Amino acid sequence: MSISQMAPPATGTLEITDERQISATRRELVLNMGPQHPSTHGVLRVVLTLEGETIVATDPIIGYLHRGVEKIGETRRYAQFTPWTDRTDYVAAPQNNLGYILAVEKLCGIAAPERAQYWRVIMAELSRIASHLVWLGTHALDIGALSMSLYCFRERELILDIFERFCGARLTTNMMEIGGFSREIPEGLIDQIEHFLKVFPGYQQEYSDLLTANPIWIARTRGVGIIEPQAAIDYGLTGACLRGSGINYDIRKAQPYLVYDRLDFEVPLGTHGDVYDRYLVRMEEMRQALRIIRQCLDVVKDHKGPLMLNDSNYVIPPHDTVLRTAEDMQRHFVWVIKGFSPPVGEVYVGIEHSKGELGYYIYSDGSGVPYRLRIRSADFVNLQILPHFAQGAMLADAVALIGTIDIVLGSVDR
Amino acid sequence: MSANPNEAETALAEAEAMSAPVREPATDMTGLAVIDPAWTNTGYWGPQDESLHPAILALRALFPDDVLGVTFFRDEVTINVRAQRLADICAALRDTPHLAYRTLTDLTAVDMLRLRDAPRFDVVVTLYSIPNRQRLRIKAGVAEGEPCPTLTGVYLAAGWLERECYDMFGIIFEGHPDLRRMLLPEDWDEGHPLRKDYPIRGYKQYVQPGFADAAPRITDYRRN
Repeated sequence: MSISQMAPPATGTLEITDERQISATRRELVLNMGPQHPSTHGVLRVVLTLEGETIVATDPIIGYLHRGVEKIGETRRYAQFTPWTDRTDYVAAPQNNLGYILAVEKLCGIAAPERAQYWRVIMAELSRIASHLVWLGTHALDIGALSMSLYCFRERELILDIFERFCGARLTTNMMEIGGFSREIPEGLIDQIEHFLKVFPGYQQEYSDLLTANPIWIARTRGVGIIEPQAAIDYGLTGACLRGSGINYDIRKAQPYLVYDRLDFEVPLGTHGDVYDRYLVRMEEMRQALRIIRQCLDVVKDHKGPLMLNDSNYVIPPHDTVLRTAEDMQRHFVWVIKGFSPPVGEVYVGIEHSKGELGYYIYSDGSGVPYRLRIRSADFVNLQILPHFAQGAMLADAVALIGTIDIVLGSVDR
Repeated sequence: MSANPNEAETALAEAEAMSAPVREPATDMTGLAVIDPAWTNTGYWGPQDESLHPAILALRALFPDDVLGVTFFRDEVTINVRAQRLADICAALRDTPHLAYRTLTDLTAVDMLRLRDAPRFDVVVTLYSIPNRQRLRIKAGVAEGEPCPTLTGVYLAAGWLERECYDMFGIIFEGHPDLRRMLLPEDWDEGHPLRKDYPIRGYKQYVQPGFADAAPRITDYRRN
C-alpha cells in the first residue's frame, strides 16, 4: 500500500475547559495507566480515579491481547489445540498443556501410564518454579528491586534449558500429549534436573536474603493490599491469592490429580493476606515444588514402564511402528487427518496452575472438534479483586497490587 | 422456595437426613473435610445417585418445580434448572450449611444452536465447596433475547464472568450492575463471537488504523 493511499492521521485540537479539568465539587483526577506500561505485565489498562494520592476507584480494562482462543478451539481437532494452550499463559506453558490434556483424557475416559504421570508432575512443577520466577522478578522490579529480575531470569534459563532438552522448545513447549509422551526421555535429562535441584536452593536463598528482611521491601509490601478471607472466597480467588489469606485450597491436595496423592509436600498458607504474605507463599511453593520434583525423580530413575498409552483409539500410534507397519501407519494417518471422536458429554477439569485454578471445560457433541471449549484462567478471575483491594490504597502501591495478583495478559484475555 | 418457610425447612432437614454418606458438618472454612472412600474414585463430584447426592436432594426439596433434570457423565454431576430461579438456587446452595457451595469457579455459556431448537443457550455455572471439596455444575437454558438473572448478588466473582458471557454470547444478565463488554472493544459492532452463527474470521474486513483499505485476504482458505 502506497503512502498516498494512507488516511490522514487522526489529530485534532484537544479542548479542555476549566470545568472539565477541575471541578469545585469533585476533586478527583482520572489517571490512565497502560496499556503500554511496564508495570502492568503486558497490556493491561487501568483507569484510576484519584483523590490526591489515594485511589478512589479502579477500572481494569482488558482484552488488548484477546485472540479468541476459545473460538479457535471450536475449529481445531482435539490434538491440534494443544499448541494453542501454550499461547494462553506463555510463562507456564506445560501446565496449560497439562490442564487441557487432562480434560481431553477425562472426556475420552483414558489415563496416561504411571511413568508418564510422574514426568508430567516433574514438568508441571518445573514450570511452576519458572512461572513464579518470572512473577518474582517482575514484581520486585515494579517495586524497585531491579537486580531481582536479573537474578530470577538467570535461574529461569536453567529450567528453559531443561524444557529445551526435553521437548525442543523453550517457551511454547507443546509438551504434553494425549496418553502420555510419545518420545523417550532424552539422555542426560535426569542429570540436568538433578543439577538444577542442587543449585537452585542456593539461588533461592539469595532471593530471600535480598528481599525477605529488606526494610524497603517490607515497607512496600507488608500491610499493603490486604484481602480478607471472606472477600477472597466471594471473588472466587484461587492459588496464592487465596492461600495468602489463609484459606487452605490447593487442588493438588483437595482433589489430587496425576500422582500428587502419593507425594509428600506442604501447602503454605498466609496469615494476613497482604502482598508480603503472598510473596512468602509463592517462595515456599517453589521450595515445595523442589521437594515434589525430588520425589518424582527418585521414582522415574528406575522406572522402566511405558511412557505412552498404547491400545486406544484416542492416542497417536508409536512413532517407530508408524514407519514399519501398515496398520499403525493407517491409524496414524486417520488420527492426524481426521482426528478422533470422543463420547458425547461435558467435562470440567481444574488443575493447580501456578496462578491458581486453571480449568478446561469441554462440551463434546461426539464429533472430532470440541463443540465448546472454555478456558477458565485463574488470573482472569483473580484480577477482579483489583478494584476491591485498591480502594483506599496509595497510587504508588498500584503497581504492587497489580503485581501481587500474578497476571499474564495472554491468559487473562485468552 | 415453598410458600411456608417451616415446610421448606422440614423438607430440607429430611433431604439432609437422607443424603449419604453422613459426614461431619463443615464448620471450619479453612479445613479440609475427610472424603468418604466411596467418593474418592469419583473425583469428588459426589455420589452418582440422585437419591444420595446432598445437593440434588436439597434442591429437589427446596425447588421442586425448578429442578428439570440431573445428568451424570464420568464423575460429574450436572443439574438442569429453570433459568428464572438460577440466582435463588445458587443462593440456596451457598447458604445451606451442609452444602456450602461458596465459591463460584466458573460461569460461561454454550450456544446450542446446532444441537437443539430451543432454548438456544445453556448458561453453565460451576460451583465449588471448599469445606466439602466438592464441585457441582448448574445449567440453565436461556432463549435468545431472554434475560437471565444475575448471580452478582450471590457471588461477587460473577461480575466479570457474566460480562464476558454477555460479550461472547449476548446473554443479558438482568440486574448486573455494570454489564459492559469485557474482552472486545466497547464499540465492537459485529455481534457476539462465540455464537455458533458467527463466522470464524468475522463479518467484516479489518482495516489497520491509519490505512484506507483493508489488507488483502486469502479468500479460498479452507476454514474461511
